[in-house]
Order: sequence, then structure tokens, then C-alpha cells
Amino acid sequence: MRLPRVEDIEKRLPTPEDFTSRARGTELTARVGTALGITFGICFLTGMWSHFQYDPPGWLPIGPQPTQLYRVTQGLHVMSGMAAIPLLLVKLWGVYPRLFILPPKKLSRAFVVDVLEKASIGVLVAAGIFQLASGALNIAQWYPWAFSFRRTHEAVAWVAIGALLVHIAVKLPIIRTALGADLEDRDDDHHDSTDDDDEQHGPTRRSVLLGASAASGLAVLLTAGQTVPFLRKISVFGVRDGDGPEDLPINRTARAARTDKTALDPNFRLEVMVGGATMAFSREQLMALPQRTHRLPIACVEGWSRSALWTGVSVCDLIELAGGNPDSDVKVRSLQTKGGFGTSDLPANFVRDHRTLLALELNGEALTLDHGYPCRIIAPNRPGVLQTKWVRQLEVKA
Amino acid sequence: MKATRGLLALTGIGFGLWGLWLMRDFTSSQLVSMATFLAGGVILHDAILAPVTVGLGVLAARLLPSHFRAAAAGAFLIWATLTVAFFNVLSGKGGKPDNSTVLHRPYALSWLVLTGVLIGVMVVAARRRRRHLRAVADLPSS
Repeated sequence: MRLPRVEDIEKRLPTPEDFTSRARGTELTARVGTALGITFGICFLTGMWSHFQYDPPGWLPIGPQPTQLYRVTQGLHVMSGMAAIPLLLVKLWGVYPRLFILPPKKLSRAFVVDVLEKASIGVLVAAGIFQLASGALNIAQWYPWAFSFRRTHEAVAWVAIGALLVHIAVKLPIIRTALGADLEDRDDDHHDSTDDDDEQHGPTRRSVLLGASAASGLAVLLTAGQTVPFLRKISVFGVRDGDGPEDLPINRTARAARTDKTALDPNFRLEVMVGGATMAFSREQLMALPQRTHRLPIACVEGWSRSALWTGVSVCDLIELAGGNPDSDVKVRSLQTKGGFGTSDLPANFVRDHRTLLALELNGEALTLDHGYPCRIIAPNRPGVLQTKWVRQLEVKA
Repeated sequence: MKATRGLLALTGIGFGLWGLWLMRDFTSSQLVSMATFLAGGVILHDAILAPVTVGLGVLAARLLPSHFRAAAAGAFLIWATLTVAFFNVLSGKGGKPDNSTVLHRPYALSWLVLTGVLIGVMVVAARRRRRHLRAVADLPSS
């Protein structure tokens, strides 16, 4: 028995001509690709914005206004990612035959160009699928991998958009011609189509484009209710439907954060550190201070958000009471001993805003344990993980 | 246009290199996991999902009556892409056992309803197509 030679394998591979659906064509590919490129662009910009909101760079002081900003940008991020999934699949279906175009036989300039182009498309497809798949799994809190989601999703995003820009640069003349042509144009028609069964009865490009748009729209509509309130009942495939104790979903429970015992300790005292001095407050003492009530959203990186009515002490009032300057950065520390984001930095521009609360009540009732009892931070325009729960200490920075 | 294309390509290469630079301190197990998922997605699509789709298309073209073909292709497009898009909630994985505010909807039931609705729409569209084809066939040929 001899090993198969390259020619034997090549004979068994399909060729681009073996794929006969007349619905494929650059006119369709360019249109689906443009829509896909737009969704990837929105994902990239809103994704980078999200990293800025997590760690505001010095040159971009992100503040508490506009209140709903992060809710909108991150909702948009996840929605355009969902919209992209059907578009990517249809796009890949459209160009799948091209996978079987073999490179030129001889090592020449054409060979090098062909291999480079295939490599750049390989990077684009791998990174594109990776971004959509890892994002979709992350919003369902499903982590079957060993890498850091946040950092890897960011790094691969640069690779994906980089490969996309190279792809657009390579294909620009073809894209422009195809977008200018009628969708059903067929200059590559080399067979007699009058009695072609597929020609008469198979799907048309228009129907594929329509189907891709419908699928993309449905992918958004059936999940967006986790952030768009009036879609709550329609979004049957959403990870959350907005329900939860006190009418608000939970991301990390007290048990998962190992605060289920410490948070219920009757001797709990909130510490407010100013300079070298520390003031301690029991929950009852905090309740006795002047209370403020504000409607603010929890907006999570996972693309869900929901507004709620929060009541508690303004962080700036509390700091003034403890003798501190409310124009300072504040370090927030949680009772949490397990999982990330046990501490957060509250920059001065958030501290100054009296809507930044050390919340004690949610929607008119005492905070439940999973919502951060005995007290938690809630501030306008902040990613959910920075809305620290089970707060034990506020340290006013000099 | 040449300048635009050159600028796009250079920016793209710069973006890609920046992405690689951001991975410089990833541990080897993180890199292996990332590479597995990068390659896995391509293999899953190119070696499994796409050939199965093409195979189903060939089967449909042979087996389905002609008036059914466009309707079946449209219904399959929407059904298949949405099934992939909702795989995260349909898988039954994810979430935490102690958090009932996540993944608490009857996703499998919704998926069955979606499948049923698409089959219904397909049948209605195919019937309309058949009526149309008959009407065309009944016309006196010119």
C-alpha cells in the first residue's frame, strides 16, 4: 500500500466549480460583508470604550454623565455581536467554494501573494469566529477555556479588526464594483440557464440577503430584552429577563463571593477612612443619616442592564461627615473574599455627584444579601462590576 | 484608491501587531487555550458546519419538489444561523447553580416553537409558490 500523493488528494477535493448554487456571488458577498463589517466596527468601538470605562485613562476623564452611557454602549456591543453571528455564517457560506482554490503550482510571486492573502483571511475568520463565540459564551457565564476572557477578547479584537482592514484593502476594487452592480447580476454565468432547474427553483441572492437580514434582526430582537425594557417579554433567548429579587437580576451571589456569613454579622461596621482617622457606622446609623433616592441603572459588561430605585447615603455626604474632602478619589473595599473586583476605585468626579450612593435600599425594600446587604455602591454610568457590593470600607485618598 | 488601500493595509497590520503585543505576557497555558479556540472555530465551521450545509443543499435539490426548494432554503438559513446564535443558552451550560436570575427561561421550548414557526412559514411559502407555478404553466404559451 502506498501513501496517497498530493495529486491524489487534489483529485478528491472539490473545486470551486462544484458549488453550483446561483445564490452565491460577489454581489451578495459584498452586501453581507458590508453589514458584517459595520457590526464588527460597532463591536470594536464599544468594546474599546468598555475597557476605558473599566480603567479610565488619564487623558479621558469619564464621569457620571451621561447616566445611561455605559448601558447604551455595552448593550449595543452585545446586540451588534448577536447581529453579526447570522451575517458571518451567511458570509462564510457565500465564499466557502473559494476555500478550494488551490495556490499556483510553481513558487512564484503569484504563489506568495496567494498564500499571504489566504493567511490573512485565515486570521480574519479565526479571529472573527473567536470573538463572536467567546463573547456569546461569556454573556451566558460559560467559560470552557483557560485564558482571561477580558484580556484575550481585547487582544484578539485588535487582530480581528486588523485582519478586516487588510481584507478590505485587498478587496476594495471588487467590493466597489459588486456594490455598484445589481444584486442578481451574473457575469460569471457560463451555463445555459433557460432550462436549469436550480435557476428556476433554488434560492435567489435577494432571498438569501433577505433571510440573512431577518436572521440578524431576530438574533437581536430575541435577546435584546435583557437591556431594552419593552423587549423583555419578546426576548425568549435572552440570558436574563430582568427578573430577580427586588425586581433586579444578580450577577454574583453572596455565596459565590463568600460574603454570606460576614455580611449578616450583627457587629458589622462600615469604616470610612480619612487621613489617619477611621469612623465606623452600623447599618442602623447609616439609615439614620439623610437619605437620597435616585433611579440608576445596573449596566453589566455582559450586555444586560436594568434601572432601579436606589435609596441610601450619598458618598459625598458621608465623606464630609467623616471630615474628608468630597473632591477626592475613594477606594472601595468589599467583604468579598472570592472572585475578582473585591475593590474598586471611585474617582473624584463620581464622588462629587450626589447620585453616587452607598445604597441601603433597592426599589423601596432593604437590600437583599445577594444585592449587597448591608450596603453597596451605586453610581451613574459605571460598569456593573465596579458597583461594589457588601462594602466594608471607604478610604478617602489624599 | 491606491493610497486608501495602502493606508488601510498598513493600519490593519499595525492593529494586528498591537493585538499580538497585548498577548506578550499571556502564560503558555493561556496561549494554548486561546490557539485551541481560534483553530477550533475555523475547523468547526470549515470541516463540519459548512460541509453539512452543502450536503443538505444537495440532498434538498434532489429530494424536494421544486416548489419547496426556495422556501426550504430560506427557512433553513434562518433556523440554522439562529440555532448557532442561541447555542450559548441552548447548550444548558453556563450560569451558576446558586443564581436563579440567569439562564432561567425555557430555551429548548422556545427553540421548538421557533422551529415549528419556521416550518409553518416554509409550508405556506411553498404552497404559494406551487400555485404561482401552476398559474404560469396554465398560461397559453406565447
